[in-house]
Amino acid sequence: MDFNAHGKEKPVKSTPDVYDVLVIGGGMVGSMILRELSRFKLRVIMVEKEPQPGFGATKATMAYIHRNHMNPPGSLRARLCMNSQSTFLSLSKELGVGYREADEINIAFDSNEEAQVRLRLDWAFKNGEKNFRTISREEVARLEPHVSRDFIYAIHSVGHGMIHPAEWAFALVENAISNGARALMETEVTGLRQEEDGFWTVDTDKGSLQARFVINAAGLYADHIAHLAGDVNVRQFPARGTFAIFDTSVSSMLRNLVYVAGIDTTFSQAIGPTLHGNVILGLGHFREPKDLSDTRVTREELDDILKIGKKIVPNLPERDLITSFAGIKVTNNLAEHNDFFLGLSSVSPTLIHALICPPGITASPGIARAILDLLSNSGLDLKEKPDFKSGSECRFKFHDSNDEDRGEAIKKDPAYGHIICRCEQISEAEIRDAVRRGAKTLDGVKQLTRAGMGRCQGGFCSLWVLKIISDELDIPLEKVTRKGKGSEEVVPWDFKGKQV
Amino acid sequence: MAAGARARQLGLKDVVVFDRDERPGGILSQCIHSGFGLMRYGEELTGPEYALREIKEAKRQGVEIELNSLVTEVKEDRHITVVSPLNGLRRYNCKSVIFAMGCRERTRPAVRIPGTRPAGIYTAGKAQRLVNIEGYKPGKRIVIVGSGDIGMIMARRLTLEGCDVEAVIEINPFTSGLIRNEVQCLRDFNIPLLLNHEVTEIRGANRVEEITVTARDDTGNPIRGMERIFPCDTLLLSVGLIPENELSRQVGFVLDSSTSGPMVNNILETAREGFFACGNVLHVNDLVDEVSKEGEIAAEGAFGRLSHTLPPSVNIFKFMKGANIGQVVPQQILFKKESRIAIRVCKPTGPVTLRIGEIVKKRLSLTRPGEMINIDISADQIQALADDNPSKEVKIECD
Repeated sequence: MDFNAHGKEKPVKSTPDVYDVLVIGGGMVGSMILRELSRFKLRVIMVEKEPQPGFGATKATMAYIHRNHMNPPGSLRARLCMNSQSTFLSLSKELGVGYREADEINIAFDSNEEAQVRLRLDWAFKNGEKNFRTISREEVARLEPHVSRDFIYAIHSVGHGMIHPAEWAFALVENAISNGARALMETEVTGLRQEEDGFWTVDTDKGSLQARFVINAAGLYADHIAHLAGDVNVRQFPARGTFAIFDTSVSSMLRNLVYVAGIDTTFSQAIGPTLHGNVILGLGHFREPKDLSDTRVTREELDDILKIGKKIVPNLPERDLITSFAGIKVTNNLAEHNDFFLGLSSVSPTLIHALICPPGITASPGIARAILDLLSNSGLDLKEKPDFKSGSECRFKFHDSNDEDRGEAIKKDPAYGHIICRCEQISEAEIRDAVRRGAKTLDGVKQLTRAGMGRCQGGFCSLWVLKIISDELDIPLEKVTRKGKGSEEVVPWDFKGKQV
Repeated sequence: MAAGARARQLGLKDVVVFDRDERPGGILSQCIHSGFGLMRYGEELTGPEYALREIKEAKRQGVEIELNSLVTEVKEDRHITVVSPLNGLRRYNCKSVIFAMGCRERTRPAVRIPGTRPAGIYTAGKAQRLVNIEGYKPGKRIVIVGSGDIGMIMARRLTLEGCDVEAVIEINPFTSGLIRNEVQCLRDFNIPLLLNHEVTEIRGANRVEEITVTARDDTGNPIRGMERIFPCDTLLLSVGLIPENELSRQVGFVLDSSTSGPMVNNILETAREGFFACGNVLHVNDLVDEVSKEGEIAAEGAFGRLSHTLPPSVNIFKFMKGANIGQVVPQQILFKKESRIAIRVCKPTGPVTLRIGEIVKKRLSLTRPGEMINIDISADQIQALADDNPSKEVKIECD
């Protein structure tokens, strides 16, 4: 992989809105990068086109932090995924966001799949992982009584993790901002050109910015961003997978992550618990989306994924399916074997591409460090801030607290006693807090607080959330959106009797 | 409200109703159309008017009503935890608990309509609250999915408020709500009703833009080529109500899978002594008058338990569902007392005779799943059924 340093004399610029580094993209990777950058005495800024960090591919993944058995030994993926668990564990404590551990079982139903699972075992070993072993059918039955007995081979490993990535992206950006970084939401990059002095002018729909270095962490749209800069060599290839989430009552059926062999990029299947106690089923046969916003779920995909789900867990209760959605992943043309490409653009050494493919979430801390290495090798002076605040304010969550703490919280702020989302037990205080922190849309509040993720899917709470957003932002109810401009939920009355 | 009022009327001292909403009345507060109370009050009232009657009576009887109060935990020993902004977190030790939590609405993912996830998809009840209580419209051009009562009522409501209601799409060859709603809401307002049709895709990136509706054949499969596209900006789903039994599950009740509510006996007591269930949390009712009645029966049961004045027992028997019988509440008979048996059939049929064991026979000219059949059985008939059926199962059938 291309880590060559193209050193350059550092030009000096002192006009406003000029940054040392501009990060395009506020997904998990962009957010990790911004937070890392905020450790140093640099002027850094992020631009993200959605209303909040983590609104793109980040919020549509299995959200598992994997150990290193699905990455070919010697690959960049393998290198950057090393020790992810411990990194995520310590980050979770620093930022006050959720991280939970579970074991994983990889199973094979036929000889092809068995070969792939054995390969995973081999890769784990070669990547230096411990505690991966073959297990018997009896052991699987003991660990997971609801999993099918029809498989022919299985391996077991401990210490995999699960997070809620949208919450992480948000918290990472928040922490970066508390350390002096800037982040602009709902700001879309429309142009990218390098001036004579080497600085980049980044045009957006909200104005122009200047930066010495630009990090292209635009996820699904990274090739589009590259093309804006004239770098036509970058191409990404999308594929869409389907997810189904089951009610928390189903969580008693499954304790571990269960993966069916599928190193093949056209198929991957897993079922397992989520951080919040639901069960998630994903991804099935990948299909080509019409375009990058094509995140629909088709009838065939839904039937497909449920069929495969029941292959793994025969008694999977379909009636407890509470939502389904789609996620798009990409591979790129610059790296081999479905790997990341982290490197300098062919048109300029100060434009750095972060072309991400699975396992993007797991590798994101490693990717961020690698990007910083690239920046440093390219001549960016990284001077650490002595007063870097690694920790974030700990937030009270009604759902996760015991009765004593709940009682105390309500005494301090009665809004903690007004439960808005009944299914998930989310209080008014938490929702107001989320809006004040920057979650200005219905889906944004949902991703950050979980309000609306329960069995009634916002049937009772979403009207309340709309009202709270309207109240906090002091905007009329009809201007509150589900996920950004164009997705307004309600229509106001026109008392003259005409349609508004 | 009715359960509380009756409990006080019978002489129980501390009777409190916990409700998580900011006003009492439950779903009635948003049902501003009339048609409530014909049975109970002999008048046609609107939802809020009916609710007010019940609330006034409850207050008159000295029932304590605590609002903005969510019960977060119920234990088997009847210790409950309640949370509210005003009173913080409190625990109560109850002698009797009556569940009356009503229903939630079935959602789009639960009925698996493929497509995108834009703004503009509402369940009908949520849209009703938005229109009638908050004072906003859900959209301008509306398609209603499902012919449940709420859907049909909202079809009329939104038409009256100036929206374009394009159609009501129903998957079955019959509507799932009351016939009177079909007439008074759809036919009277010329809203097209498409039976045997289903929504096969929702399109729109940020907001609903259009949907595809496909006709179904007799076996329920979509017919190729019989697709229509409806441009619209709003979908209202009226595809079923699910009794909200989260707390029931917490206590450990086994739910009846056909009603999605707890199993009860004929004093509306659940499998756990001291726990009662009534209203829509027990089974989806058609008429609120019946719901009030159930509240009273539950209160009578609670009183009977606490004062040891329950009716005499009979040999316990369960109801067994015969052909075309979908739901039966109560599921079990323990006591010799006049009891109302609420039945729903699976499929509509013409003239039939409903039989309960060999003791009760009723001739019905028309049965539909959307219209609950209520049969009053006298105490003596209960005794006869118990004596007649030593196998402890009484068959209910419809032929």
